[in-house]
Formats: sequence, structure tokens, C-alpha cells
Amino acid sequence: MKRSIALVLMVALLIPFSLFAQGGKETVVDENAPVTVQYWTHEDPARTDLENELIAAFMAQNPNITVVRTTQSSAKQIELVQTAFAANQGPDMFNLPIENQYAYISNYRVAPVDYQAAGYTDKEDLLDTYVEGVLDTVTVDGEVFGLPLELTNWAIYVNKKIFRDAGLNPETDYPKTWEEMAEVSEKLVIRDGDILIRRGYDFRYPYYLTFFVPMVEQLGGELISSDGKQAIVNDDAWLKALTYMQEWGPSGRNLGSPTYKNARKLFDLDNNDMAMAHSGLYQQGRIAEDNPEFFESGEWMVIPYPVFEDAVRDVAACYYGHFFMVNEDSDPNVQKAAWKLAGFLLSHGEDYLTRGGNIIQPTKALFASDTLKNMPYSDVFINDMERSHMIYYGANSAEIQTQIRYAVESVMLSGVSPQKALATLRPAVQEIVDEQ
Amino acid sequence: MGMKKYRGIEKKQARWGFLFVVPSLLFFSLFSFYPIINAFYTSFFDKRALSKAPPAFLGLGNYIRLFDPNRAASELSFLNSLRATLVFTVGTFVPLLIISLLLAVFISNLGSRKAKKFLQIAYYTPAILSSVVAATIWMIIFDPRGLGNQWVNALMNTPGVDHRWLVDPVMEQVSTMVIYFWKYIGYFVILFITGLASIPPTIYEAATIDGAGKGQVFWRITLPLLKPTVVLVSVMAMLQCLKTFSTQYMLYTNGAPRAPINVITFNIYITGIQQQYLGRASAMSVVLFILMLMLTLLQFKTTKSEQVEY
Repeated sequence: MKRSIALVLMVALLIPFSLFAQGGKETVVDENAPVTVQYWTHEDPARTDLENELIAAFMAQNPNITVVRTTQSSAKQIELVQTAFAANQGPDMFNLPIENQYAYISNYRVAPVDYQAAGYTDKEDLLDTYVEGVLDTVTVDGEVFGLPLELTNWAIYVNKKIFRDAGLNPETDYPKTWEEMAEVSEKLVIRDGDILIRRGYDFRYPYYLTFFVPMVEQLGGELISSDGKQAIVNDDAWLKALTYMQEWGPSGRNLGSPTYKNARKLFDLDNNDMAMAHSGLYQQGRIAEDNPEFFESGEWMVIPYPVFEDAVRDVAACYYGHFFMVNEDSDPNVQKAAWKLAGFLLSHGEDYLTRGGNIIQPTKALFASDTLKNMPYSDVFINDMERSHMIYYGANSAEIQTQIRYAVESVMLSGVSPQKALATLRPAVQEIVDEQ
Repeated sequence: MGMKKYRGIEKKQARWGFLFVVPSLLFFSLFSFYPIINAFYTSFFDKRALSKAPPAFLGLGNYIRLFDPNRAASELSFLNSLRATLVFTVGTFVPLLIISLLLAVFISNLGSRKAKKFLQIAYYTPAILSSVVAATIWMIIFDPRGLGNQWVNALMNTPGVDHRWLVDPVMEQVSTMVIYFWKYIGYFVILFITGLASIPPTIYEAATIDGAGKGQVFWRITLPLLKPTVVLVSVMAMLQCLKTFSTQYMLYTNGAPRAPINVITFNIYITGIQQQYLGRASAMSVVLFILMLMLTLLQFKTTKSEQVEY
């Protein structure tokens, strides 16, 4: 009895090990057999409607392919995809912001594009379809590892009514420099003692790689040196940018703070509490959805990303991409089906722009199209994109963003001096760069 | 012969008993035993979440890094997480213990059964709320334009003062304690009420006949006879506080600074999930596990010495 109990006990305890050791992937052996593509993406109601429609059409054209589309919030999606891949249970096709997604390329977790399956004759045909340089981000050793679902940059949305309410002319008095941004915001804010009832502008925390690093670059600084070896280049630039954020925060001029409600969401509601917010072209779709009356009113406009008065470089907020990538561990037939799906979805660029959440797929055709040119303020976004560059991406770019967040928020909220914050930031980022 | 038959029945019963235990054993080995052993093993390697390459063996490298005095100056270090965890645990479990005991005594002494039930449910409700709902409620309160500032300013007649619930390092720690206290007070009140119910009423009757006052009854009878429950609740509360995560996560994702509330579990999450250092995060988990194991052993030791006989 004792021996049999011991045997059952051992089996019980070993079962989990054997389960995890297998990895649990299904193998499709017959090329013509039905395949299922697990597609994970972030939530966006407008895009969901369009993609459900496109996926239904795709499945009708390819009866042996079933697509299972799963959505999560943007933040949760990053963690879920990573956890799934860590357990060798990643989705067949997924998209993430490139600063989070690049690690999948550098860790060999994603497969190179199958050009024919995606609808291109070869690599040259693919490269020729997209705006020059866009695919460089996902090209390693001559292989392309992703297709861009969207390329996004942020400009500044302005509520004209609030400007007029503060005695300003939105067409002429909008801020062109960061110094003016603080001055104009001072005129726009309404305070009850220390509490901001109405903010002029507030940053888009915590996306510091997107908006803060370009501010440093305007002043001549760099996150990583051009040879990729040194972190935090040009102390003066970093200190000036950190000081600006310190003065912006509650311990300085008290113009905004990460602990207030997200500026972008408040802007849509037009409740006289947010005069300017930072967002992409896609925000127009969200304003139209959340507040159609405000969208149609003509009481909003979009202005370019400001620069410092003594800027040495004209740099706008970084643009970032979401790329469709395919799991290297998926069955080859599933990979082929996934690339076919990606190619099919991306062949509807104008639909994504007009009714799929106003997102830009950076094909040459779309950039030349009247559809993009006729969208309100698309010229501001396109011009800003030309004076911008892709967000910093690397195997550990998300970790670097966490360190920058800590530095900026410690000067804004915790009373840490910019010098001390920089002294902490530098070795932290350097260590990450060295490990990379 | 009779003895043999008896043993046969015992064996049969044991076999059935064992069969009933197998599902829970499987469940435990799958969801607890395997992760614990795996975390312990992983803590000796430089394991990255996305890497498929075999992880480099570091020996005690991850542990040495955690306790490296040169890193202690960083507010995001593991040593600072130990500090944050200790501050949170002491600052939360002491008021939790005292106030839940007082509330339990108050509720137990209520004459109306309806009032008793209502208060028990009311205090317990936050414990079953999802983290998302709790986050929404507390963000409405702690937003600078929110209810927290409005209430405190109305109460203290200090219009327009921002109490910096999520900005000031001390206030931020206090805020996490308040949220946790609100969420779990009901759970411990219920435990104390159960403990109070197990004290024989005859002892109270005898004390009343002997002319003992309410204060004397509490200090001389209730508290001494409740000692096993007090010890149980204090250790449970302490262990719960050591595992705190969702409150800190919720504040951080809503813009609060990380350093003051970077408790061990939160540091494990950032290190393992966001930064992808699974080996390092596993080492943190093992340290937390050892800390909790020591406290559990302390619980066993204390409860043995605190046996109460009526």
C-alpha cells in the first residue's frame, strides 16, 4: 500500500513537469488540412468592426483558414503576449508597439515575412510598397520580420473655445515653443488653490520615449550615442529638459501632473477642463465617437509639436509603429496562413484610415492618396512626421522607458533635483545598454 | 482473524480516502509545487522571458545582486523594496488588527441581528470587489480634483489645498495603506467575530454575576480567550500585507511614482514581466517566500504556546 501511495504521489508530482516540458503546440501535418490562426491585437472599437468584417471576407475566400481574433487593452496586451511567448504558447499573429515588439525579433521569436503568402512577388516588391525606411525597423540581416499595421505620430489638439475664453486667439496665439507652451498654459489654467480645475496642456505620461526624448534631442542631447555604446549624451540638454518637467509639475508652476486624469480623454469630452492634448490622427475618430457634436463643431484644431527656443535640432515627437508579426514556433502552414491574413488586411489601407480607427498604414499609395490628404489636419501630422524619427527601439527599450519615467517623475513629484535624477538615470540606462 | 479483517477495512478506507485526496494533490502540484520549485531553480540562472537560448548559470549571482550594498542608494533597488514592504506591512497590519478586533467586538455586542448581518456584509463587501472596480473608486477619490481633497478640505476648512495623495512619497504610502485597509478590514472582522463566538457565554455570565464592568470583561476575559484568534489574524494579516500587489500596481498605472510603493511583489512584476529578467525576479520571489515561511513557522510556534483552555 505504502509503495503504491508513493508511486501515485510521484506520478502526481511529476505530471506538471511533463506537461510544461512538452510545450503543448499542435502540429499540422497535412498542408491542405484546415488551419486556425490565433490573432491577438489591442482594443480599438472602430478597428474591431472593420477587422471583423475583413476577417469574415478573408475566411470566405480561404475556407480552410479559421481566424480567431482576440483583443486586450494596449497595456495588458504587452504583458499577455510576452507571458504567452515565455511559456512557448504565443499567438500565431500579433501586434505591439515597436519599442515592445523589437525584443521578439532580437530573441528570434518571430518568423521572416513570407512575401508570396502576404501578396508580394518578392522582398523588393514589398519594400517598394512602403514609404522608404519604414521597414528598416523590422529588418535584421536582410530579412523583414513585420508588416506595419499602423505608423503613428502625435501632434497637439487645441480646443479653440477655451483659448477664446482665456482671451487668446487660437489661430495666432497657439504655442510654437515649449517656453510659450508654459506661458500659454498659465493663461489657460483655472485653479482652486493648488488644484487644477482646468489645464492648458498636459503631457502624455508615461510615454517618455515618444515625447520626452525628442525634447532632449531638440536641445542637442541623445538617449544613446550614435555608436550605440554610450547612454545619456549631453548632460546640459538632459538637465534642461528635466528642469522643464520639474517646473511643469506640482512643485513648480503647477501646470499639470501624471496623477491628473489622462489629458487626451478629457479633451474629447469638451468639458472646459483640457485646452490642449497630445495625440495621433486616430484621435479624430475617437472624438467623433465620444463627442460627435464637438467633432463637427469646428472648435478644435491641430498644431505642430513645439520646440525649445534655443533648440539646436528641429525634432517632433517620435513616431512609432505597430507591426504584424508571426510566431516562429507556429506550424509552417499556420505561418503561411497568418502572412496571408496580414497581407489581406493591409491591402485595405484606405478602409483603416477612414473607418478603422483613422490609422495610417505607411504605404506609398496611401501617403499619395487624396483620402489621407483630405483628412482634417493630416498635413500637420505628415509635416511633423518629416521632422521626426522612429522611436528608440531595442531589445530592452521598454526597460529604458521605465528608467526615464522614474527620472522625470522623481523631479516632477518627489522633489528630487534634476542633477540627482540624471546621476541615477545614467548608470541605470548604461547598464541596460551594456547588457544589450 | 478479527484483527486482520479490521485492518482490511482500514486499508480499504485509506485507499478511498487517498483517491479523494488525489485531485487536490494534483492541483497543488500543478499550480503551487511546480512554480515554487521552478522559481527556486530559475533563480540561479540569467533567464530572460523571451530568450530561447539556454540561460547562463549564475549560481548565487542574482541573490548577490539583490543584496548588493552599492545598489542600495537606488530607490528602485531590492533593498528599498524590503523597506517599502516592511513599512507597508507594519503600517497596515497593526491598524487592521486593532480596528478589526474593536469592530468585531462592537458588532458581536449589537442587540439587533439585522444590524449585525448588515454590518458584516457592509464591511466584507470591498473584499469581493474586483481590483478594476476598486481602482476606479479610489482614483475618483485620489484625483487632485476628486472626493479625497473635497472631503478633507470641507472637514478641515482648507479650501483649495491639494493633499497630494499620490504625489508626496509619504502620502502615497499612506494612500496604499488606506486602500488596503478598506479592502480587507471586513475579512478580519469576520474572523474575529468567529473567534468571539467560540468563547463560551457562561464565562461572561459568571463575570457579570461577579460584578465585572464592560472594560474588565474585555481586558480580562475577551482578549485573553481570543489570543489564538489574535495570533492567527495577526500572522495572516502580516502575510497578506507581504503579498500586497494590486494596490501598488493600480496607483502606479494611474501615474503615481514607483519608488515609495515599490514593494517586493511589485518589484518582482516589474523585473520579471516588464524588464523580462525572470531569473532575477525568481530570486526576489524566493527571498519573499523565505520571509513568509519564517513568519508562518513563527505562527505555528506562537499558536502552540498560546493554547487556551476554558
